[in-house]
Amino acid sequence: MSRQLSRRMVLKGIGASLALPYLEAMNGWTAHGAPAVAGNPKRLAYFYVPNGVHMQDWSPEEVGPGYKMPFLLDSTLSKFREDLLVLSGLTVDKARANGDGPGDHARSLASFLTCRQARKTNGADIRAGVSADQVAAQKIGAATRFSSLELGIDKGQNAGNCDSGYSCAYSNNLSWRSESTPMSKENDPRQVFERLFASPGETTASLKKKEKTRKSILDVVSEDANSLRGKLGSTDKRKLDEYLSAVREIEMRLNKSENNQIAAPKFTPAESARPAGIPRDFQEHVRLMFDMMVLAFQADLTRIATFVIANEGSNRNYKNIGVSEGHHELSHHGNDKAKHEKIKKINQYHLQQFAYFLEKLKGTKEGGSSLLDSSMLVYGSAIGDGNRHNHDELPILVAGRGAGTIKTGQHLRYPKDTPLANLHLSLLERMGVALPSFGDSTGKLDNIGV
Amino acid sequence: MLILKMNFKNGFCTMLGVFLLLALAGENVQSADKEPIANFDNDIMPVLKKHCMGCHNDKRKSGGFNLAKYKNLADIKKDLKTWERVADNLRTGDMPPPGKPKPTNKQLDVVNRWMDTQVFEFTCVGQKDPGKVTLRRLNRVEYNNTARDLLGVNFKPAEEFPADDVGYGFDNIGDVLTMPPILMEKYLDAAEDIIEMVYKNRFVFTKYLKVASPEKVTPADFPKILEDIATRAYRRPATKDEVDKLVKLSESLVKNGEKPSDALKAGLQAILVSPKFLFHVEIDPDPNSTEPHKVSQFELAGRLSYFLWSSMPDQILFDLARQNKLHEKGVLEEQVARMLKDPKGRAFTLNFPEQWLHLRNLKTVNPDKSKFPTFTDALREDMAKEAELFFDHITRENRSILELLDSDYTFLNQRLASHYGIKNVTKPEFAKVNFTDNRRGGVLTQAGVLTITSNPTRTSPVKRGKWVLDNILGTPPPPPPPNVDELKEDDKALTGTLRQRMEQHRANPNCATCHQKMDALGFGLENFNPVGVWRDQDAGKPIDSSGDLPGGEKFNGPAELRKILLAKSDLFAHCLCEKLLTYATGRGMERADNCIIDAIVEKTKKDNFKMQDLIIEIVKSEPFQMRKAKRGAKS
Repeated sequence: MSRQLSRRMVLKGIGASLALPYLEAMNGWTAHGAPAVAGNPKRLAYFYVPNGVHMQDWSPEEVGPGYKMPFLLDSTLSKFREDLLVLSGLTVDKARANGDGPGDHARSLASFLTCRQARKTNGADIRAGVSADQVAAQKIGAATRFSSLELGIDKGQNAGNCDSGYSCAYSNNLSWRSESTPMSKENDPRQVFERLFASPGETTASLKKKEKTRKSILDVVSEDANSLRGKLGSTDKRKLDEYLSAVREIEMRLNKSENNQIAAPKFTPAESARPAGIPRDFQEHVRLMFDMMVLAFQADLTRIATFVIANEGSNRNYKNIGVSEGHHELSHHGNDKAKHEKIKKINQYHLQQFAYFLEKLKGTKEGGSSLLDSSMLVYGSAIGDGNRHNHDELPILVAGRGAGTIKTGQHLRYPKDTPLANLHLSLLERMGVALPSFGDSTGKLDNIGV
Repeated sequence: MLILKMNFKNGFCTMLGVFLLLALAGENVQSADKEPIANFDNDIMPVLKKHCMGCHNDKRKSGGFNLAKYKNLADIKKDLKTWERVADNLRTGDMPPPGKPKPTNKQLDVVNRWMDTQVFEFTCVGQKDPGKVTLRRLNRVEYNNTARDLLGVNFKPAEEFPADDVGYGFDNIGDVLTMPPILMEKYLDAAEDIIEMVYKNRFVFTKYLKVASPEKVTPADFPKILEDIATRAYRRPATKDEVDKLVKLSESLVKNGEKPSDALKAGLQAILVSPKFLFHVEIDPDPNSTEPHKVSQFELAGRLSYFLWSSMPDQILFDLARQNKLHEKGVLEEQVARMLKDPKGRAFTLNFPEQWLHLRNLKTVNPDKSKFPTFTDALREDMAKEAELFFDHITRENRSILELLDSDYTFLNQRLASHYGIKNVTKPEFAKVNFTDNRRGGVLTQAGVLTITSNPTRTSPVKRGKWVLDNILGTPPPPPPPNVDELKEDDKALTGTLRQRMEQHRANPNCATCHQKMDALGFGLENFNPVGVWRDQDAGKPIDSSGDLPGGEKFNGPAELRKILLAKSDLFAHCLCEKLLTYATGRGMERADNCIIDAIVEKTKKDNFKMQDLIIEIVKSEPFQMRKAKRGAKS
């Protein structure tokens, strides 16, 4: 029986038992934890928040280890002070108009990890760039079962024009596999779980057999696609190439599995850990997605991930923390005090969720240190102040020590217009991907190393 | 390559009938130019001087426009963006503003024609350009429906696929539908699930695979079954080579010791992950040519069925294609009528309006619960349902599209009726309800549209006005100038009612031109609160829902606003036609498509723009009937 069918039956049959609060069921993960391994693998992940941040309460004044945490950081991440590197002065120039007119929101998400100017189009010839996470995934992703994970909360706007002549592909996607193929994000924790871990009752033998059949199916269809390719014009070819490249990625994974080149998951969570679906509550949803990311890192199923906490330009309201107005609407605050306060609340709320994630990672031991220690987690936005839509002086921080390669516990300030791409370049190097440059980088970021 | 915002509304082609024998002054049009080519210095400049440059000159630069700086055609061609707005403003009649002398119709025609042919260099004469559709994959809706019609499964496998990105307002645009690896993974999962489902249900198995039961399958059945399913899945006869490969796949599994029925599964799954199933494949005779050609009969059948059913063709369409009859006179008309009558036609009357009107955003809007406690999830669904039933009625009954702008009826259930303050609707099921007052009529005053164009705690006249310009009149305002918020920071804070504050905002000349129009349209709907409930007061102050439009029209309240929109029926028909053609073809509209759209508007106008007439004209149009392998002008 196939993976999903069996799940459907399960959902129908014993749905009630699955409604167990997930986190409760997950207690004791670390008890099943991985055996100590020398030289823990590094993990790289990016977290995006939309509409900028109330920078007056984010940017520390002092530089260096002795800096005072401003309100937003202090009220949420003070516990992780020694695990954090706060970076001021970074810029995503490619989020600026540079002659393309309005559309700051779409451009911001599209350029945060690509550091390339997204082509302004509502559809025809979509083009951004390969994102930093995918550069890493393409280089080192083969080491794990999944080369990367793309997670998010919003499913994506379903209608209308997303931002001033930019296709919704730009304002919905953070990760780009090629300059024209965004990586769709998953937003259902149950589906993520099922992708990561085998179905109940599925044995190694049945899995192997299924994988073998899949391989022969893919052989047939890629032959099909190749013969079709010759008959197509250039733009249609590009579309078919996306198909072929997706097929190849899966074939590669199946080959590795067949040759036992992929280690089995370092642990398997209890069946009761399986989420039931998308929770209605935002916080619960975010935390479940964070849980999935922790599981994926812990089981070493992937080392690279992205997480869009809300799509750029999101107008979500956060009623449960007393903010009835939409986030985007508020972000055009016109310096209204009351609006400032509400934006702060939203920023703080997002950071609190991130703190939950850090807590989880810190509590998950791996060979004598914690998952957080081996991670590099970039949190931020490509918009500074939501009212001005500026793309310099961005809110950026890195959590985790990158297995001892990052000097955390300090605040660094960089000269005006230092590209965020410099940070990407520096972190990619730590992931074992040494590049001469990335996007609009001008060099590596000074002083972040130990 | 040319990708330009659509700005031509009542353009050249509308006038084609009248001016057919008049000058076609395009540089690349050599024939039929019996009238002298309009000359910039002699014919155009005097009109611009008299009617435009009194304000748009070096000194005043009203609205940021200085037309005096363009000395000749070459200057103008360097700044097409500005001239698109000039063209737009002239055609909508927004300029010259009220109180200023307007050019005569004859003068306007000359200027418009000159812009089309000389500035923007396109012509509607001769072979029309069908445009280029990029190879598009099935979107989620299409995948579900196709799986249902191909193999009788109803469990909507694509619910587990990632969201389809949207371009040009729709989720079926070839350029925007990408295929990341995770989707391929989901396709493999779905193929396995679908085949499992077919095997589990004996009735379905027999009906679709034409073998009594899985146990009865022998390898000798493979070719017949796989050919049959592949032909339907690929929406054209499968070739011998294709069938052979599938058969070989299943046979190889038998050799490895699988039961024949299990081995057959692999062949069937391969069909479901083949690019020929997953994409709308259309083959050009020469993949490097810009020469338009008719699509094949099977391709046309597919275009029809995905347009109206979001699914594969049925046996009747297949048969017509096989007999080469789809191009015969009257056949398309007959098929469109039949397809819209079929329950599968709901796919069109649901998916099109839901996207055109942005109603899918109803799923994610979140009006403030404490202010609007009656806004429940059930009501959210009712709002979408009202619009869907209304559009469905107009389509199936082949009524005038103008009823979408104003009507004396709608569809309500008890819950939504009570939301509207309408009594005497007591049933939980939706039914047609006639209005007894003049408050509502058409889509614009339906709760769904009013809610998705509001902020969580208050209405947004700007959003509503922009929505009307974008989706009803088809004259989207240009995006705001950059850093617009900074400009108002010299301020004393804006005070007063929403209307007063917005009027202060409009005092900023950078905002005034467009906002005058957007805000006026939006204020005409102020009698409807953020969830579409009628109100006479807001925060204790009486609602003022009057407005002046830049063209000089004045109105007071939503009923008068609807009348003004009705008077712009050509603009609306053009706009709806543009959206329909986008949805029907799966590509964004380009400048040359205006020739086609204008012609359709002209043709359907005589009979007051009946919905099915519009659909039939779209189906018969060049972009739907033809294709070319490459973008760009015919070489």
